[in-house]
Amino acid sequence: MCLYPHGFIGCGMAGISEQKRCEIDGTVFNPFSPDFVREPHATWLKLVSEYPIAWHRELNMWVVSSHELCGDLLKSHDFSPNYRLWEHALPEKLEAEKLDFDRMTDHSLFMVTQKEHLRLRKLTMPAFSKPVMSQIDATIRDLIVERFDEIGSPEAFDVYTEIASKLPVRSIARMIGVSAEHEAMFQKFANCVVLAARINLTPEQRETAMREGQEGIDYFREQIALRRALAHPGEDFLGALIAAEEDNDSLSDWDIIALISSLITAGSDTAIDLHTYLINGLLSHPDQYSLLKQQPELMENAIVELLRHGSMGKFPFFRFAVDDTEFGGQQIRKGQSVLVNLSAAWHDPAKWENPQTLDITRDLNGNLVFGAGPHFCIGTYLVRAQARIMLEEFMRRFPDAELSGQDGDLEYDYAHHNARRITRLRVKTNLEPVRKVA
Amino acid sequence: MKKWICVICGFIYDEAEGLPEHGIAPGTRFEDLDADWVCPECGSPKDAFEEYED
Repeated sequence: MCLYPHGFIGCGMAGISEQKRCEIDGTVFNPFSPDFVREPHATWLKLVSEYPIAWHRELNMWVVSSHELCGDLLKSHDFSPNYRLWEHALPEKLEAEKLDFDRMTDHSLFMVTQKEHLRLRKLTMPAFSKPVMSQIDATIRDLIVERFDEIGSPEAFDVYTEIASKLPVRSIARMIGVSAEHEAMFQKFANCVVLAARINLTPEQRETAMREGQEGIDYFREQIALRRALAHPGEDFLGALIAAEEDNDSLSDWDIIALISSLITAGSDTAIDLHTYLINGLLSHPDQYSLLKQQPELMENAIVELLRHGSMGKFPFFRFAVDDTEFGGQQIRKGQSVLVNLSAAWHDPAKWENPQTLDITRDLNGNLVFGAGPHFCIGTYLVRAQARIMLEEFMRRFPDAELSGQDGDLEYDYAHHNARRITRLRVKTNLEPVRKVA
Repeated sequence: MKKWICVICGFIYDEAEGLPEHGIAPGTRFEDLDADWVCPECGSPKDAFEEYED
């Protein structure tokens, strides 16, 4: 039940009018507050238990926080990730004014219709098949082993600088088959894609980011053209996308480039937090770290539980109402934005017993860690592979690692646009000192 | 007996095994699942599934 701040007890009841809607403000949920970034649990608990769905007066959006409602929302076709449906969206550009970046965005999984989305997901299936993923596993493993070789055997190091900021974009580059000589160009393209997807940019800043992404778009158009000219486009990820065919339908160049941009949007910036939160979660719970070392078969479950427990999202992600609709007992108007507050949902005691306890043996059935519904995380495999291989390597090389000081000398970027971004996490390796040969 | 894969999340429904934990007996054909049955992993509807060969 949601207690309306002005004394009504009515949120959750069907058919209530707009003026009686459940509302909150920054005193209940302020995602920009450093206190919230450091200690979010009390806020999440209040949201899920008292305000499972509420209109945020200052953020001008609905905030949906309970596990049940977040799951329903993600599976509902009444809400879309297409920001052009947002009541405050800028009007779509005329065809003649569009940049290539706009054309790419038009084909993105987040922007197309429901029918088109299913078509794209069906055609991209072969690129996510076991043989292709096994190749990707091998290339990511090489990348991670190289990184740990470079880290070497120090007494202490910073996980953010040495691991989290270095692996995610390179992993996607390896997945797509970008050669080492083009890695810097790909990094720049990835930055532009991530930047242009932010909601808090001015139109001028967004236009600049889109123009700077042109080099990356040109690169992929050229690569696709080269592959299409071959007798067989190849057995790798890009080759599988080009070769994909169903009922005489196949992916266009823009479909493929847009898919690459979707992988970047979903898997580069967010995966920075993946690495810091995995290591922070394990080292701040030494009993669970020991258990994982003793029972490595728990790895897959441990990764999902560490992500659930860490809940790194500040503004997890958005949906827009396709039409006027009633949801969770509230009247939502066409075009209004809805924050799917998954970080709170992952700590909802109605779904998770002792949600603040990290338990890598927890039954995670029905979790929403990779989302749900039609936009279920397309990069799940890449995320899990990257996480598993990184942790295996970390445990093998630093089995006795501990956090430096009380909490790894933890620092956050409080201004980060959507994550509780950790920017410093120091670990002591406790390695035996290597004796110098006299 | 066939297998079916959810194109959204990669979940595989194996007709031979069914989903006993969800009340679906081994041997239940995909076409016999309720029309409103959804993928237990991601919640996608039946039309998000395709026949799958190992």
